[in-house]
Amino acid sequence: MAKDYIDNPAALKIDLMLRGLRIDDPLVKAWACGVDGIDIMLPHNTLVNIPCREEFTKGSPYTIRKKDGGYVIGGHSSEVAVSLVPKPKFYERKTSTGIPFAKIASVHGGVTSITPSPRCDFFNANVECKYCAGNLDVKGMDKTVYSVDDVVETVAAVLADGIRGIIYLSTGFSDEPDGGIVFLKPYLQAIKNKFHCLVAVETLPPKENRWIDETYALGADSVLYNLEIYDKELFELICPGRAASIGRKRYMSALEYAARIFPSGTVASHLIVGLEPPGSTIMGVDCLVNMGVVPILPIYRPGHGKALRIDPLTAEIILPVYKHLYKAVKKSNISLNWVKDLSMVTTPAEMRAIVDKTASNGSLIEGFYKSKIGRKAAWGLSSLMRKLRVKKSEEDE
Amino acid sequence: MGFEIDTRPLWLLLLLRARRLMFFMALAAVFFYLLFMSAPAGLSVEGQRAIAIFIVCLVLWMSNMVPLAITSLFAIVLVPLLGVLSKKDTYAIFGNEAVFFILGAFMLAGAIMHSGLSNRIALNIMDRFGKSPRTLLLSIFLLAASLSFVMSEHAVAAMLFPIVFDISKGLGLKPGKSNYAKLLFFALAWGCVIGGIGTFLGGARVPLAIGILKESTGLSIDFLDYAIAVFPLVIVMLIVGYLLMSRFFPSEVTDVSSAHAVLGKRLKGLSKISYNEYAVGGVLVLTIFAWVFFGKLLGLATIALSSVVCLFVFQLVRWKDIEEYVNWGIILMYGGAIILGSALDKSGAAQWLVDSILVNWADRPWMVFATFSLLSIALTEAMSNAAVIAILLPVSIGMADRVGMSPVALTYSIAVPAGLAFMFPMSTPANAIAVSSNYITIKDMTKGGIIMCLTAWVVFNLLAAYYWPLIGMGYMK
Repeated sequence: MAKDYIDNPAALKIDLMLRGLRIDDPLVKAWACGVDGIDIMLPHNTLVNIPCREEFTKGSPYTIRKKDGGYVIGGHSSEVAVSLVPKPKFYERKTSTGIPFAKIASVHGGVTSITPSPRCDFFNANVECKYCAGNLDVKGMDKTVYSVDDVVETVAAVLADGIRGIIYLSTGFSDEPDGGIVFLKPYLQAIKNKFHCLVAVETLPPKENRWIDETYALGADSVLYNLEIYDKELFELICPGRAASIGRKRYMSALEYAARIFPSGTVASHLIVGLEPPGSTIMGVDCLVNMGVVPILPIYRPGHGKALRIDPLTAEIILPVYKHLYKAVKKSNISLNWVKDLSMVTTPAEMRAIVDKTASNGSLIEGFYKSKIGRKAAWGLSSLMRKLRVKKSEEDE
Repeated sequence: MGFEIDTRPLWLLLLLRARRLMFFMALAAVFFYLLFMSAPAGLSVEGQRAIAIFIVCLVLWMSNMVPLAITSLFAIVLVPLLGVLSKKDTYAIFGNEAVFFILGAFMLAGAIMHSGLSNRIALNIMDRFGKSPRTLLLSIFLLAASLSFVMSEHAVAAMLFPIVFDISKGLGLKPGKSNYAKLLFFALAWGCVIGGIGTFLGGARVPLAIGILKESTGLSIDFLDYAIAVFPLVIVMLIVGYLLMSRFFPSEVTDVSSAHAVLGKRLKGLSKISYNEYAVGGVLVLTIFAWVFFGKLLGLATIALSSVVCLFVFQLVRWKDIEEYVNWGIILMYGGAIILGSALDKSGAAQWLVDSILVNWADRPWMVFATFSLLSIALTEAMSNAAVIAILLPVSIGMADRVGMSPVALTYSIAVPAGLAFMFPMSTPANAIAVSSNYITIKDMTKGGIIMCLTAWVVFNLLAAYYWPLIGMGYMK
């Protein structure tokens, strides 16, 4: 019988993301209806989005049930009290043009993700990332583009609901030299002009560094260029579009440059755990950390008919990767205040509890930045830094 | 438009940003200290305030922490606010002839540029003299100097400006970056300044000085005597100026042949000279003629503005064609500088400065001569040269009797250095016009200007001590 990790919220998060959750309780079933995963708050404010519909979840040792007016997740022998994260109220409402807010934005803990256009040119050219097609449900052929007004209205609804944190703007993937920042520019500027909130941007690495300067200058507080796979050969195999049009080398140089331009801890890159050997992921973590980039390690969720992941993939195998992640980031003194409270992925800060089982919720500074005043301070500091650092220059003809 | 991201540490950026605030706080502290300290003996309250404003404006003009025109506005506001001059007087001084002369000169230059005449002249000059960067530079330098012997240096600068501007554009030189462009505009400005001291016709200051001398003593200076006395200084300064420019701004342009070929092509591509070019050229020639022969009678500004009116009457130019060529900032700056000079003069501050320094520093004839010439050359950097003469000359003539010196020698000691304004754009319209091109910065001008001023002062004093006795002149009566 496989071990469970009920006693350690950080390890439990990883194991839950890896193995999923069986839902027998009809109330929770109703709650999870129509979604691929449910957001649940574990002890130590550890937020997790747990797969519950995929085939592999049927073998999970974890179940959720009601107990004493609350909920518990049970393993083989013990259980732990958890709470269901309520769905944001704005999910039920629509924009003035009739688009459901839930289609434009989705909340994942401390991040509200908005993708103004889900178009993916890699998908359209049949060079899509293998893990993505049919998994993350990116409808590459879909030409829907939400207007700036719709997106602004959505952000207003998010903030009106009291949801605080970072607005995460991402592009579908296109082969433009700017990596997609030109497409996001009007959205980014409109959000920055109208709201006092932090905005993270996920695009492809642009071909020239000046676009990274522009990304910062336009108001992006954080930037993500997701490498996804560190191993060179696997990267070319699994992400043929990215490998051909951008190349792993450019990912690295763009991340390195962005880490020099953006403040500490605000440049991040995903390395998907489960698509390459753990040793390779660890090398990727070290490489990114040495450049000043925060590695974020999501766990690969195999979709129907997709067998990309390494086998066997268990918590015992990948926990050392996460331990290494925390230690590497701590050693490099990269700020952990930016990449946090994400339900879909595992962040370095959450891994503190694996390394130090007596650790609580983090440092005083981390606690401060989670508070309302701390969030305002983070926004103010970020804006001040940008004001001091950005200079407009006439480009040479 | 691109962006540059300064990745230096936040504390350093904050400190650098605060530097500006600290600068203004320190300046304010100095200003208020000068304003409220107990007034030195012999200095009126108004004089003390005028000196406080003068020092603040001088620092701002030198540091360029705010645009020049805004510093002038600062002076325009403070002078009446602190009661140094009345509101009415202050704004009346702004309507000075020099301000309107510059306005007219800008408009004339605009008309020439708009008609295409300056382009045609520039192309021809380059075609003829542009065999090498050096000969082109020398031709502009010497042309500016020699024209300033026979007409106001201001007018020469205004006339040559569009030509030099077009030459710079023709060579594809980048404003603020190209050393060769800096050389061309320094050649224009300093050529005019050096040439302007060569004769009576270079500016209004020498006739003004002779008028004051004659009024006080009945003595005068002949046109030829003046030219013989000053011409060696002109020659030396032209040589020093050329060497200094070449050393400070080594030319990056080594070959103008490619530009020459392009210019030749462009010259061929020019259409026949148009009626407008003839007419604007005709107005310009008449204006120069009037400046040379009727300048004293009618006034330079009157002539310049009359020509501008003619251009509009004959529909040679439209307002919107001219508007973009008028540098309103320079006009504001010059107006403010004249107000400041006038405030120093009328409040007695300038007189007090001169008296205080003379009592302490000058007790021998050569020292009196050196001190007056130093004061003149220093003051003319920050105020109108006519005002410098108006302030210093009556005092120096008074001093001449006390120390037994020749009033004529002392008139030279002020009138000549008053024309040697090399350092700042507010010193003389020639400098202001050159800086308005944006090809040279105030910093560039100050850097070379200090050396030019010191050299000019030393050479001038050496000439007075060793050359003038040879032509029958001297310090003593």
